[in-house]
Amino acid sequence: MEHFFLNIAHSLIVWLMGLGLSSKGADLVLLIVQWICIVAIVTINVIVLIWLERKVAGFMQQRLGPNRLGPAGMFQTIADAIKLLTKEDIIPSAADRIIFRTAPIFFIIIAVMLYVVLPMGDGMQIVDLNVGVFYFISVASLSTICLLMAGWGSNNKWSLLGAMRSVAQMISYEIPLAFSLLGVIMIAGSLSLSDIVAAQNNIWFIILQPVAFITFFIAATAELNRGPFDMPEAEQELTAGAYTEYTGMRWALFFLAEYTNLVAVSALASTMFLGGWHGPWLPSWIWIIIKTYLVMLIFMWMKWTFPRIRMDHLMSFSWKVLIPVTLANILVTGAGIQFLAGMGW
Amino acid sequence: MKGQGLLKGLYITLKRAVGKDITIQYPEQMPYLQDRFRGCLHFDYTKCIVCGLCTKACPNNVLSYESRQVEGSKKKELVSYTIDLQYCLFCNLCVEACPTNTLYFTHDFELSRYQRDQIKIVYEIPKEEPSAVKVDLKGDAPEPDETKKEKQLAAMTAALQKNPQKTVRKMVENDEDAEILAGILLEDEQKLSRMAALMIADREKAKKVAVAFVNKEKKDRLKGGGAEDESK
Ligand code: SF4
Ligand code: SF4
Repeated sequence: MEHFFLNIAHSLIVWLMGLGLSSKGADLVLLIVQWICIVAIVTINVIVLIWLERKVAGFMQQRLGPNRLGPAGMFQTIADAIKLLTKEDIIPSAADRIIFRTAPIFFIIIAVMLYVVLPMGDGMQIVDLNVGVFYFISVASLSTICLLMAGWGSNNKWSLLGAMRSVAQMISYEIPLAFSLLGVIMIAGSLSLSDIVAAQNNIWFIILQPVAFITFFIAATAELNRGPFDMPEAEQELTAGAYTEYTGMRWALFFLAEYTNLVAVSALASTMFLGGWHGPWLPSWIWIIIKTYLVMLIFMWMKWTFPRIRMDHLMSFSWKVLIPVTLANILVTGAGIQFLAGMGW
Repeated sequence: MKGQGLLKGLYITLKRAVGKDITIQYPEQMPYLQDRFRGCLHFDYTKCIVCGLCTKACPNNVLSYESRQVEGSKKKELVSYTIDLQYCLFCNLCVEACPTNTLYFTHDFELSRYQRDQIKIVYEIPKEEPSAVKVDLKGDAPEPDETKKEKQLAAMTAALQKNPQKTVRKMVENDEDAEILAGILLEDEQKLSRMAALMIADREKAKKVAVAFVNKEKKDRLKGGGAEDESK
Protein backbone atom coordinates (compact mmCIF):
# COMPACT_ATOMS: atom_id res chain seq x y z
CA MET A 1 0.00 0.00 0.00
CA GLU A 2 2.81 2.36 0.95
CA HIS A 3 4.16 2.69 -2.58
CA PHE A 4 0.85 2.25 -4.37
CA PHE A 5 0.92 5.53 -6.29
CA LEU A 6 4.67 5.45 -6.81
CA ASN A 7 4.33 2.01 -8.38
CA ILE A 8 1.61 3.26 -10.70
CA ALA A 9 3.84 6.16 -11.79
CA HIS A 10 6.79 3.85 -12.25
CA SER A 11 4.91 1.34 -14.37
CA LEU A 12 3.47 4.19 -16.43
CA ILE A 13 6.99 5.42 -17.24
CA VAL A 14 8.16 1.90 -18.06
CA TRP A 15 5.18 1.37 -20.33
CA LEU A 16 5.74 4.70 -22.11
CA MET A 17 9.43 3.98 -22.62
CA GLY A 18 8.43 0.59 -23.95
CA LEU A 19 6.32 2.40 -26.54
CA GLY A 20 9.50 4.05 -27.77
CA LEU A 21 9.31 7.39 -25.96
CA SER A 22 12.51 9.02 -24.77
CA SER A 23 12.90 9.37 -21.02
CA LYS A 24 12.24 13.13 -21.28
CA GLY A 25 9.02 12.51 -23.18
CA ALA A 26 7.88 9.94 -20.65
CA ASP A 27 8.57 12.40 -17.84
CA LEU A 28 6.52 15.02 -19.65
CA VAL A 29 3.57 12.66 -20.00
CA LEU A 30 3.88 11.72 -16.36
CA LEU A 31 3.86 15.40 -15.43
CA ILE A 32 0.64 15.92 -17.37
CA VAL A 33 -0.93 12.92 -15.66
CA GLN A 34 0.15 14.31 -12.30
CA TRP A 35 -1.45 17.65 -13.09
CA ILE A 36 -4.69 15.97 -14.05
CA CYS A 37 -4.57 14.02 -10.80
CA ILE A 38 -4.06 17.19 -8.81
CA VAL A 39 -6.99 18.91 -10.45
CA ALA A 40 -9.13 15.84 -9.78
CA ILE A 41 -8.01 15.68 -6.14
CA VAL A 42 -8.73 19.38 -5.74
CA THR A 43 -12.21 19.11 -7.21
CA ILE A 44 -13.19 16.07 -5.18
CA ASN A 45 -11.78 17.66 -2.07
CA VAL A 46 -13.77 20.81 -2.64
CA ILE A 47 -16.99 18.87 -3.07
CA VAL A 48 -16.36 16.98 0.15
CA LEU A 49 -15.21 20.10 1.96
CA ILE A 50 -18.24 22.20 1.12
CA TRP A 51 -20.45 19.41 2.38
CA LEU A 52 -18.29 19.05 5.49
CA GLU A 53 -18.32 22.76 6.15
CA ARG A 54 -22.10 22.89 5.95
CA LYS A 55 -22.41 19.92 8.23
CA VAL A 56 -19.96 21.34 10.75
CA ALA A 57 -21.68 24.72 10.67
CA GLY A 58 -25.03 23.03 11.14
CA PHE A 59 -23.89 20.93 14.07
CA MET A 60 -22.33 23.92 15.78
CA GLN A 61 -25.61 25.77 15.50
CA GLN A 62 -27.60 22.76 16.72
CA ARG A 63 -28.95 22.15 13.25
CA LEU A 64 -28.59 19.06 11.11
CA GLY A 65 -27.01 20.59 8.04
CA PRO A 66 -27.91 19.28 4.59
CA ASN A 67 -29.65 15.91 4.91
CA ARG A 68 -32.20 15.61 2.13
CA LEU A 69 -30.18 14.89 -0.98
CA GLY A 70 -28.42 11.56 -0.92
CA PRO A 71 -26.97 9.87 2.16
CA ALA A 72 -26.47 12.55 4.84
CA GLY A 73 -26.98 15.25 2.21
CA MET A 74 -23.82 14.26 0.33
CA PHE A 75 -25.23 15.16 -3.09
CA GLN A 76 -26.17 18.69 -2.08
CA THR A 77 -22.83 20.07 -3.26
CA ILE A 78 -23.13 18.27 -6.57
CA ALA A 79 -26.59 19.71 -7.07
CA ASP A 80 -25.22 23.15 -6.28
CA ALA A 81 -22.39 22.67 -8.75
CA ILE A 82 -24.87 21.72 -11.47
CA LYS A 83 -26.95 24.76 -10.62
CA LEU A 84 -23.91 27.03 -10.86
CA LEU A 85 -22.87 25.50 -14.18
CA THR A 86 -26.25 26.19 -15.72
CA LYS A 87 -26.54 29.74 -14.45
CA GLU A 88 -26.52 32.74 -16.71
CA ASP A 89 -23.10 34.33 -17.06
CA ILE A 90 -23.48 38.02 -16.37
CA ILE A 91 -20.76 40.56 -17.01
CA PRO A 92 -21.58 44.11 -15.92
CA SER A 93 -21.60 46.47 -18.89
CA ALA A 94 -19.22 48.89 -17.18
CA ALA A 95 -16.77 46.16 -16.18
CA ASP A 96 -13.27 45.88 -17.53
CA ARG A 97 -14.03 42.76 -19.49
CA ILE A 98 -10.59 41.23 -19.87
CA ILE A 99 -9.59 41.70 -16.25
CA PHE A 100 -13.02 40.63 -15.06
CA ARG A 101 -12.84 37.41 -17.02
CA THR A 102 -9.26 36.43 -16.29
CA ALA A 103 -9.30 37.10 -12.53
CA PRO A 104 -11.04 33.85 -11.49
CA ILE A 105 -8.97 31.81 -13.92
CA PHE A 106 -5.69 33.13 -12.52
CA PHE A 107 -7.01 32.66 -9.02
CA ILE A 108 -7.63 28.95 -9.53
CA ILE A 109 -4.38 28.45 -11.46
CA ILE A 110 -2.40 29.97 -8.60
CA ALA A 111 -4.28 27.84 -6.11
CA VAL A 112 -3.44 24.66 -8.03
CA MET A 113 0.20 25.74 -8.44
CA LEU A 114 0.65 25.42 -4.69
CA TYR A 115 0.34 21.65 -4.91
CA VAL A 116 3.50 21.24 -6.90
CA VAL A 117 5.77 21.29 -3.88
CA LEU A 118 3.51 19.66 -1.29
CA PRO A 119 4.72 16.18 -0.31
CA MET A 120 1.61 14.02 -0.37
CA GLY A 121 3.35 10.98 0.96
CA ASP A 122 6.77 9.42 1.20
CA GLY A 123 8.44 10.47 -2.05
CA MET A 124 5.13 11.65 -3.48
CA GLN A 125 6.11 15.14 -4.49
CA ILE A 126 5.82 16.43 -8.03
CA VAL A 127 8.84 18.68 -7.80
CA ASP A 128 11.15 18.68 -4.79
CA LEU A 129 12.28 22.29 -4.94
CA ASN A 130 15.13 23.21 -2.64
CA VAL A 131 13.24 26.46 -1.93
CA GLY A 132 9.87 24.74 -1.46
CA VAL A 133 8.62 26.83 1.47
CA PHE A 134 9.71 30.02 -0.23
CA TYR A 135 7.93 28.97 -3.42
CA PHE A 136 4.76 28.18 -1.49
CA ILE A 137 4.66 31.51 0.31
CA SER A 138 5.39 33.59 -2.75
CA VAL A 139 2.87 31.80 -4.97
CA ALA A 140 0.22 31.96 -2.26
CA SER A 141 0.65 35.71 -1.99
CA LEU A 142 0.02 36.07 -5.74
CA SER A 143 -3.67 35.41 -5.18
CA THR A 144 -3.95 38.94 -3.78
CA ILE A 145 -3.44 40.26 -7.27
CA CYS A 146 -6.33 38.17 -8.55
CA LEU A 147 -8.62 39.53 -5.87
CA LEU A 148 -7.54 43.04 -6.77
CA MET A 149 -8.19 42.25 -10.43
CA ALA A 150 -11.66 40.98 -9.58
CA GLY A 151 -12.44 44.01 -7.47
CA TRP A 152 -11.08 46.50 -9.96
CA GLY A 153 -12.52 44.81 -13.02
CA SER A 154 -16.03 44.64 -11.56
CA ASN A 155 -16.23 48.44 -11.44
CA ASN A 156 -18.30 48.28 -8.29
CA LYS A 157 -17.53 50.06 -5.06
CA TRP A 158 -18.15 47.06 -2.84
CA SER A 159 -15.91 44.92 -4.98
CA LEU A 160 -13.17 47.50 -4.93
CA LEU A 161 -13.45 47.98 -1.18
CA GLY A 162 -13.26 44.24 -0.67
CA ALA A 163 -10.27 44.00 -2.97
CA MET A 164 -8.45 46.85 -1.23
CA ARG A 165 -9.08 45.25 2.11
CA SER A 166 -7.77 41.94 0.88
CA VAL A 167 -4.59 43.56 -0.40
CA ALA A 168 -3.97 45.35 2.88
CA GLN A 169 -4.75 42.24 4.87
CA MET A 170 -2.69 39.86 2.79
CA ILE A 171 0.37 42.10 2.81
CA SER A 172 0.14 42.49 6.57
CA TYR A 173 -0.29 38.82 7.25
CA GLU A 174 2.26 37.63 4.73
CA ILE A 175 5.00 38.81 7.09
CA PRO A 176 4.02 36.91 10.26
CA LEU A 177 3.21 33.88 8.08
CA ALA A 178 6.74 33.80 6.71
CA PHE A 179 8.29 34.66 10.07
CA SER A 180 6.45 31.90 11.87
CA LEU A 181 7.75 29.38 9.34
CA LEU A 182 11.30 30.68 9.79
CA GLY A 183 11.69 29.02 13.17
CA VAL A 184 10.91 25.64 11.65
CA ILE A 185 13.25 26.29 8.75
CA MET A 186 16.05 27.23 11.12
CA ILE A 187 15.70 24.00 13.04
CA ALA A 188 15.41 21.85 9.93
CA GLY A 189 18.16 23.79 8.20
CA SER A 190 16.45 23.57 4.83
CA LEU A 191 13.78 25.25 2.73
CA SER A 192 12.87 22.02 1.02
CA LEU A 193 9.62 20.55 2.25
CA SER A 194 10.81 16.96 2.00
CA ASP A 195 13.85 17.81 4.14
CA ILE A 196 11.60 19.43 6.70
CA VAL A 197 9.43 16.31 6.87
CA ALA A 198 12.54 14.14 7.19
CA ALA A 199 13.75 16.36 10.05
CA GLN A 200 10.54 15.53 11.95
CA ASN A 201 11.31 11.85 12.07
CA ASN A 202 11.79 11.89 15.82
CA ILE A 203 9.83 14.86 17.04
CA TRP A 204 7.16 17.00 15.43
CA PHE A 205 7.89 20.68 15.11
CA ILE A 206 4.63 21.61 16.82
CA ILE A 207 6.29 20.51 20.07
CA LEU A 208 9.48 22.43 19.41
CA GLN A 209 7.70 25.49 17.98
CA PRO A 210 4.27 25.82 19.62
CA VAL A 211 4.21 29.61 19.38
CA ALA A 212 5.16 29.47 15.72
CA PHE A 213 2.32 27.02 15.10
CA ILE A 214 -0.27 29.28 16.70
CA THR A 215 0.93 32.40 14.88
CA PHE A 216 1.13 30.44 11.64
CA PHE A 217 -2.44 29.27 12.15
CA ILE A 218 -3.73 32.79 12.75
CA ALA A 219 -1.81 34.28 9.84
CA ALA A 220 -2.92 31.44 7.57
CA THR A 221 -6.54 32.07 8.47
CA ALA A 222 -6.09 35.66 7.35
CA GLU A 223 -4.26 34.57 4.21
CA LEU A 224 -7.09 32.23 3.33
CA ASN A 225 -9.72 34.95 3.78
CA ARG A 226 -11.55 32.70 6.15
CA GLY A 227 -13.62 33.71 9.12
CA PRO A 228 -12.98 35.44 11.49
CA PHE A 229 -10.67 37.24 9.07
CA ASP A 230 -12.91 37.16 5.98
CA MET A 231 -12.72 40.91 5.46
CA PRO A 232 -12.49 40.81 1.64
CA GLU A 233 -15.76 38.96 1.44
CA ALA A 234 -17.55 40.30 4.54
CA GLU A 235 -21.01 39.57 3.23
CA GLN A 236 -22.73 41.61 5.94
CA GLU A 237 -20.80 44.76 5.11
CA LEU A 238 -19.72 44.48 1.47
CA THR A 239 -22.41 42.16 0.05
CA ALA A 240 -19.78 39.73 -1.24
CA GLY A 241 -16.74 41.94 -1.49
CA ALA A 242 -14.66 41.26 -4.55
CA TYR A 243 -17.07 38.53 -5.69
CA THR A 244 -20.17 40.72 -5.75
CA GLU A 245 -20.50 40.97 -9.52
CA TYR A 246 -19.60 37.38 -10.31
CA THR A 247 -22.19 34.79 -11.25
CA GLY A 248 -22.36 31.16 -12.20
CA MET A 249 -19.18 29.38 -13.07
CA ARG A 250 -16.87 32.37 -12.59
CA TRP A 251 -18.07 32.73 -9.05
CA ALA A 252 -17.76 28.99 -8.57
CA LEU A 253 -14.12 29.21 -9.66
CA PHE A 254 -13.41 31.67 -6.85
CA PHE A 255 -15.12 29.36 -4.44
CA LEU A 256 -13.20 26.40 -5.75
CA ALA A 257 -9.93 28.28 -5.43
CA GLU A 258 -10.66 29.34 -1.85
CA TYR A 259 -11.20 25.75 -0.79
CA THR A 260 -8.22 24.63 -2.82
CA ASN A 261 -6.12 27.16 -0.90
CA LEU A 262 -7.59 25.85 2.32
CA VAL A 263 -6.48 22.31 1.50
CA ALA A 264 -3.04 23.51 0.44
CA VAL A 265 -2.43 25.59 3.55
CA SER A 266 -3.71 22.79 5.80
CA ALA A 267 -1.39 20.37 4.05
CA LEU A 268 1.45 22.84 4.54
CA ALA A 269 0.61 23.14 8.24
CA SER A 270 0.65 19.38 8.67
CA THR A 271 3.89 19.16 6.70
CA MET A 272 5.67 21.89 8.62
CA PHE A 273 4.40 21.24 12.12
CA LEU A 274 2.60 17.91 12.36
CA GLY A 275 5.27 15.61 11.04
CA GLY A 276 4.07 15.48 7.43
CA TRP A 277 3.58 11.94 6.27
CA HIS A 278 5.22 10.41 9.32
CA GLY A 279 2.98 8.11 11.27
CA PRO A 280 2.73 4.53 12.44
CA TRP A 281 0.95 1.61 10.74
CA LEU A 282 -0.89 3.43 7.95
CA PRO A 283 0.66 4.32 4.58
CA SER A 284 2.20 7.79 4.46
CA TRP A 285 -0.35 9.29 2.07
CA ILE A 286 -3.21 8.30 4.37
CA TRP A 287 -1.45 10.02 7.25
CA ILE A 288 -1.14 13.26 5.33
CA ILE A 289 -4.86 13.09 4.43
CA ILE A 290 -5.83 12.53 8.05
CA LYS A 291 -3.65 15.37 9.31
CA THR A 292 -4.79 17.75 6.61
CA TYR A 293 -8.42 17.09 7.36
CA LEU A 294 -7.83 17.55 11.07
CA VAL A 295 -6.28 20.95 10.44
CA MET A 296 -9.17 21.88 8.16
CA LEU A 297 -11.66 20.88 10.82
CA ILE A 298 -9.93 23.26 13.21
CA PHE A 299 -10.14 26.00 10.57
CA MET A 300 -13.87 25.36 10.26
CA TRP A 301 -14.29 25.24 13.99
CA MET A 302 -12.72 28.68 14.28
CA LYS A 303 -14.73 30.09 11.41
CA TRP A 304 -18.06 29.08 12.89
CA THR A 305 -17.17 30.20 16.39
CA PHE A 306 -15.70 33.67 16.11
CA PRO A 307 -17.35 36.80 14.73
CA ARG A 308 -15.49 38.78 12.10
CA ILE A 309 -13.04 41.25 13.59
CA ARG A 310 -12.96 44.89 12.61
CA MET A 311 -10.65 46.05 9.82
CA ASP A 312 -8.46 48.33 11.97
CA HIS A 313 -8.22 45.71 14.72
CA LEU A 314 -7.21 43.21 12.10
CA MET A 315 -4.37 45.39 10.88
CA SER A 316 -3.14 46.41 14.29
CA PHE A 317 -3.29 42.80 15.46
CA SER A 318 -0.92 41.82 12.70
CA TRP A 319 1.53 44.68 13.11
CA LYS A 320 1.43 45.11 16.87
CA VAL A 321 1.03 41.54 18.06
CA LEU A 322 1.80 38.89 15.49
CA ILE A 323 4.94 40.37 13.98
CA PRO A 324 6.65 41.12 17.33
CA VAL A 325 5.71 37.68 18.63
CA THR A 326 7.06 35.90 15.59
CA LEU A 327 10.24 37.99 15.66
CA ALA A 328 10.75 37.11 19.30
CA ASN A 329 10.15 33.47 18.43
CA ILE A 330 12.87 33.61 15.79
CA LEU A 331 15.25 35.22 18.29
CA VAL A 332 14.56 32.57 20.93
CA THR A 333 14.85 29.75 18.39
CA GLY A 334 18.17 31.09 17.09
CA ALA A 335 19.54 31.53 20.59
CA GLY A 336 18.35 28.04 21.51
CA ILE A 337 20.00 26.49 18.47
CA GLN A 338 23.28 28.27 19.21
CA PHE A 339 23.09 27.29 22.86
CA LEU A 340 22.43 23.62 22.11
CA ALA A 341 25.16 23.61 19.46
CA GLY A 342 27.54 25.06 22.03
CA MET A 343 26.56 22.28 24.41
CA GLY A 344 27.67 19.88 21.74
CA TRP A 345 24.26 18.57 20.52
CA MET B 1 -6.62 36.59 31.19
CA LYS B 2 -6.83 37.82 27.62
CA GLY B 3 -8.01 35.25 25.13
CA GLN B 4 -10.06 33.33 27.66
CA GLY B 5 -13.24 34.31 25.86
CA LEU B 6 -11.93 32.78 22.65
CA LEU B 7 -11.38 29.42 24.32
CA LYS B 8 -14.78 29.63 25.96
CA GLY B 9 -16.37 30.27 22.57
CA LEU B 10 -14.56 27.32 21.05
CA TYR B 11 -15.67 25.14 23.94
CA ILE B 12 -19.31 26.18 23.52
CA THR B 13 -19.40 25.50 19.79
CA LEU B 14 -17.74 22.15 20.34
CA LYS B 15 -20.30 21.28 22.97
CA ARG B 16 -23.12 22.27 20.61
CA ALA B 17 -21.55 20.31 17.76
CA VAL B 18 -21.48 17.03 19.65
CA GLY B 19 -24.70 17.70 21.56
CA LYS B 20 -28.26 17.04 20.50
CA ASP B 21 -29.68 19.00 17.57
CA ILE B 22 -32.92 20.87 17.95
CA THR B 23 -34.12 20.72 14.35
CA ILE B 24 -37.61 19.30 13.84
CA GLN B 25 -37.88 17.45 10.55
CA TYR B 26 -41.21 18.92 9.43
CA PRO B 27 -43.34 17.53 7.75
CA GLU B 28 -42.24 14.03 8.78
CA GLN B 29 -42.03 15.17 12.35
CA MET B 30 -44.72 17.47 13.71
CA PRO B 31 -43.82 20.22 16.11
CA TYR B 32 -45.18 20.06 19.62
CA LEU B 33 -47.86 22.73 19.97
CA GLN B 34 -49.03 24.33 23.17
CA ASP B 35 -52.70 24.13 24.03
CA ARG B 36 -53.25 27.80 23.37
CA PHE B 37 -51.75 27.60 19.89
CA ARG B 38 -54.02 29.31 17.37
CA GLY B 39 -54.18 27.36 14.16
CA CYS B 40 -57.15 27.26 11.83
CA LEU B 41 -60.37 28.78 13.15
CA HIS B 42 -62.99 26.07 13.46
CA PHE B 43 -66.76 26.44 13.57
CA ASP B 44 -68.66 23.70 15.36
CA TYR B 45 -71.98 24.47 13.71
CA THR B 46 -74.14 22.20 15.84
CA LYS B 47 -73.71 24.49 18.81
CA CYS B 48 -74.32 27.86 17.16
CA ILE B 49 -77.33 29.79 18.46
CA VAL B 50 -77.08 32.48 15.78
CA CYS B 51 -76.61 35.31 18.24
CA GLY B 52 -74.26 37.25 15.95
CA LEU B 53 -71.84 38.21 18.72
CA CYS B 54 -68.91 36.79 16.84
CA THR B 55 -69.49 38.93 13.77
CA LYS B 56 -69.75 42.00 15.98
CA ALA B 57 -66.56 41.14 17.81
CA CYS B 58 -64.47 40.57 14.76
CA PRO B 59 -62.39 43.64 13.89
CA ASN B 60 -61.77 42.52 10.35
CA ASN B 61 -65.14 41.31 9.08
CA VAL B 62 -63.88 37.81 8.71
CA LEU B 63 -67.06 36.15 9.90
CA SER B 64 -70.47 36.29 8.28
CA TYR B 65 -73.54 34.11 8.38
CA GLU B 66 -76.92 33.66 6.78
CA SER B 67 -79.88 32.74 8.90
CA ARG B 68 -83.59 32.24 8.65
CA GLN B 69 -86.53 32.34 11.00
CA VAL B 70 -87.64 28.99 12.35
CA GLU B 71 -91.26 28.50 11.36
CA GLY B 72 -93.66 29.21 14.13
CA SER B 73 -91.02 30.48 16.46
CA LYS B 74 -88.96 33.55 17.19
CA LYS B 75 -85.80 31.57 16.92
CA LYS B 76 -83.37 31.79 14.06
CA GLU B 77 -81.54 28.94 12.52
CA LEU B 78 -78.35 28.92 10.56
CA VAL B 79 -78.28 28.51 6.78
CA SER B 80 -74.60 29.01 6.21
CA TYR B 81 -71.58 30.33 8.03
CA THR B 82 -68.52 31.76 6.35
CA ILE B 83 -65.02 32.25 7.71
CA ASP B 84 -62.90 34.24 5.27
CA LEU B 85 -59.65 33.16 6.83
CA GLN B 86 -57.38 35.31 4.68
CA TYR B 87 -58.34 38.40 6.67
CA CYS B 88 -58.22 36.75 10.05
CA LEU B 89 -55.80 38.20 12.61
CA PHE B 90 -56.09 35.18 14.89
CA CYS B 91 -56.85 37.69 17.64
CA ASN B 92 -59.17 35.36 19.54
CA LEU B 93 -61.86 38.06 19.99
CA CYS B 94 -64.57 35.99 18.32
CA VAL B 95 -63.73 32.95 20.39
CA GLU B 96 -64.02 35.01 23.54
CA ALA B 97 -67.29 36.55 22.40
CA CYS B 98 -69.05 33.33 21.51
CA PRO B 99 -71.30 32.26 24.40
CA THR B 100 -71.55 28.62 23.36
CA ASN B 101 -67.94 27.77 22.45
CA THR B 102 -68.96 27.26 18.87
CA LEU B 103 -65.83 28.86 17.56
CA TYR B 104 -62.42 27.62 18.55
CA PHE B 105 -58.91 27.38 17.22
CA THR B 106 -57.60 24.00 16.12
CA HIS B 107 -53.95 23.05 15.93
CA ASP B 108 -54.04 22.81 12.16
CA PHE B 109 -51.48 25.37 10.96
CA GLU B 110 -51.07 24.18 7.39
CA LEU B 111 -53.31 26.83 5.93
CA SER B 112 -51.81 27.38 2.49
CA ARG B 113 -54.01 26.63 -0.47
CA TYR B 114 -53.49 26.35 -4.18
CA GLN B 115 -56.42 28.56 -5.15
CA ARG B 116 -57.44 31.82 -3.66
CA ASP B 117 -61.10 30.88 -3.31
CA GLN B 118 -60.14 27.85 -1.28
CA ILE B 119 -59.15 30.11 1.59
CA LYS B 120 -62.75 30.89 2.42
CA ILE B 121 -64.29 28.26 4.68
CA VAL B 122 -68.02 27.96 4.13
CA TYR B 123 -70.23 25.80 6.33
CA GLU B 124 -73.52 24.96 4.58
CA ILE B 125 -75.94 23.79 7.21
CA PRO B 126 -78.27 20.99 6.01
CA LYS B 127 -81.94 21.79 6.29
CA GLU B 128 -83.18 19.15 8.70
CA GLU B 129 -80.13 19.17 10.75
CA PRO B 130 -80.65 21.89 13.34
CA SER B 131 -84.02 20.51 14.46
CA ALA B 132 -82.65 16.98 14.57
CA VAL B 133 -79.81 18.12 16.71
CA LYS B 134 -82.17 20.02 18.91
CA VAL B 135 -84.14 16.85 19.49
CA ASP B 136 -81.08 14.95 20.49
CA LEU B 137 -79.44 17.56 22.57
CA LYS B 138 -82.42 18.55 24.63
CA GLY B 139 -84.16 15.19 24.57
CA ASP B 140 -87.48 16.87 23.64
CA ALA B 141 -90.51 14.69 23.08
CA PRO B 142 -90.75 13.72 19.44
CA GLU B 143 -93.37 15.49 17.42
CA PRO B 144 -96.20 13.26 16.20
CA ASP B 145 -95.54 13.56 12.49
CA GLU B 146 -91.95 12.56 13.02
CA THR B 147 -92.60 9.13 14.48
CA LYS B 148 -91.25 7.41 11.41
CA LYS B 149 -88.07 9.36 11.60
CA GLU B 150 -87.87 8.66 15.27
CA LYS B 151 -88.09 4.96 14.62
CA GLN B 152 -85.31 5.18 12.12
CA LEU B 153 -83.26 7.11 14.59
CA ALA B 154 -83.82 4.55 17.30
CA ALA B 155 -82.83 1.75 14.95
CA MET B 156 -79.71 3.58 13.92
CA THR B 157 -78.77 4.37 17.49
CA ALA B 158 -79.22 0.76 18.43
CA ALA B 159 -77.08 -0.34 15.51
CA LEU B 160 -74.38 2.09 16.47
CA GLN B 161 -74.41 0.90 20.04
CA LYS B 162 -74.41 -2.75 19.11
CA ASN B 163 -71.98 -2.91 16.26
CA PRO B 164 -70.48 0.52 15.85
CA GLN B 165 -67.45 -0.37 13.83
CA LYS B 166 -69.40 -1.98 11.02
CA THR B 167 -72.01 0.73 11.01
CA VAL B 168 -69.58 3.59 10.58
CA ARG B 169 -67.17 1.77 8.31
CA LYS B 170 -68.54 3.41 5.17
CA MET B 171 -68.30 6.88 6.61
CA VAL B 172 -64.55 6.91 6.97
CA GLU B 173 -61.61 5.94 4.88
CA ASN B 174 -60.16 2.89 6.57
CA ASP B 175 -60.70 0.34 9.31
CA GLU B 176 -58.43 2.11 11.70
CA ASP B 177 -60.45 5.32 11.48
CA ALA B 178 -63.63 3.34 11.90
CA GLU B 179 -62.30 1.87 15.07
CA ILE B 180 -61.36 5.28 16.41
CA LEU B 181 -64.77 6.65 15.54
CA ALA B 182 -66.53 3.71 17.16
CA GLY B 183 -64.54 4.34 20.30
CA ILE B 184 -65.54 7.98 20.37
CA LEU B 185 -69.21 7.20 19.85
CA LEU B 186 -69.37 4.53 22.50
CA GLU B 187 -67.77 6.86 24.97
CA ASP B 188 -70.05 9.81 24.40
CA GLU B 189 -73.76 9.22 24.18
CA GLN B 190 -74.51 12.69 22.95
CA LYS B 191 -72.15 12.28 20.05
CA LEU B 192 -73.62 8.91 19.27
CA SER B 193 -77.15 10.18 19.04
CA ARG B 194 -76.05 13.14 16.99
CA MET B 195 -74.24 10.87 14.61
CA ALA B 196 -77.24 8.61 14.32
CA ALA B 197 -79.46 11.56 13.45
CA LEU B 198 -76.99 12.81 10.93
CA MET B 199 -76.60 9.47 9.27
CA ILE B 200 -80.31 9.35 8.63
CA ALA B 201 -80.71 12.96 7.64
CA ASP B 202 -77.67 13.65 5.53
CA ARG B 203 -75.12 11.05 4.68
CA GLU B 204 -72.59 13.50 3.27
CA LYS B 205 -72.72 15.78 6.26
CA ALA B 206 -72.41 12.80 8.55
CA LYS B 207 -69.28 11.73 6.74
CA LYS B 208 -67.76 15.15 7.20
CA VAL B 209 -68.58 15.18 10.88
CA ALA B 210 -67.21 11.67 11.25
CA VAL B 211 -63.95 12.64 9.64
CA ALA B 212 -63.77 15.72 11.84
CA PHE B 213 -64.29 13.60 14.94
CA VAL B 214 -61.63 11.17 13.91
CA ASN B 215 -59.18 13.89 13.05
CA LYS B 216 -59.72 15.65 16.33
CA GLU B 217 -59.23 12.43 18.22
CA LYS B 218 -56.09 11.66 16.26
CA LYS B 219 -54.73 15.08 16.94
CA ASP B 220 -55.48 14.75 20.63
CA ARG B 221 -53.67 11.47 20.66
CA LEU B 222 -50.75 12.95 18.78
CA LYS B 223 -50.64 15.79 21.24
CA GLY B 224 -50.66 13.34 24.10
CA GLY B 225 -47.86 11.42 22.44
CA GLY B 226 -45.90 14.61 21.83
CA ALA B 227 -46.24 15.60 25.47
CA GLU B 228 -44.94 12.23 26.51
CA ASP B 229 -41.94 12.57 24.22
CA GLU B 230 -41.23 15.95 25.70
CA SER B 231 -41.23 14.62 29.23
CA LYS B 232 -38.83 11.90 28.23
S1 SF4 C 1 -59.72 35.71 15.39
FE1 SF4 C 1 -60.12 37.90 15.33
S2 SF4 C 1 -59.92 38.43 13.15
FE2 SF4 C 1 -60.09 36.21 13.24
S3 SF4 C 1 -62.26 35.82 12.96
FE3 SF4 C 1 -61.92 35.94 15.18
S4 SF4 C 1 -62.31 38.06 15.72
FE4 SF4 C 1 -62.06 37.98 13.49
S1 SF4 D 1 -71.12 34.06 18.73
FE1 SF4 D 1 -71.06 31.81 18.66
S2 SF4 D 1 -73.22 31.23 18.93
FE2 SF4 D 1 -73.19 33.39 18.39
S3 SF4 D 1 -73.45 33.42 16.16
FE3 SF4 D 1 -71.24 33.45 16.57
S4 SF4 D 1 -70.64 31.32 16.55
FE4 SF4 D 1 -72.85 31.34 16.72
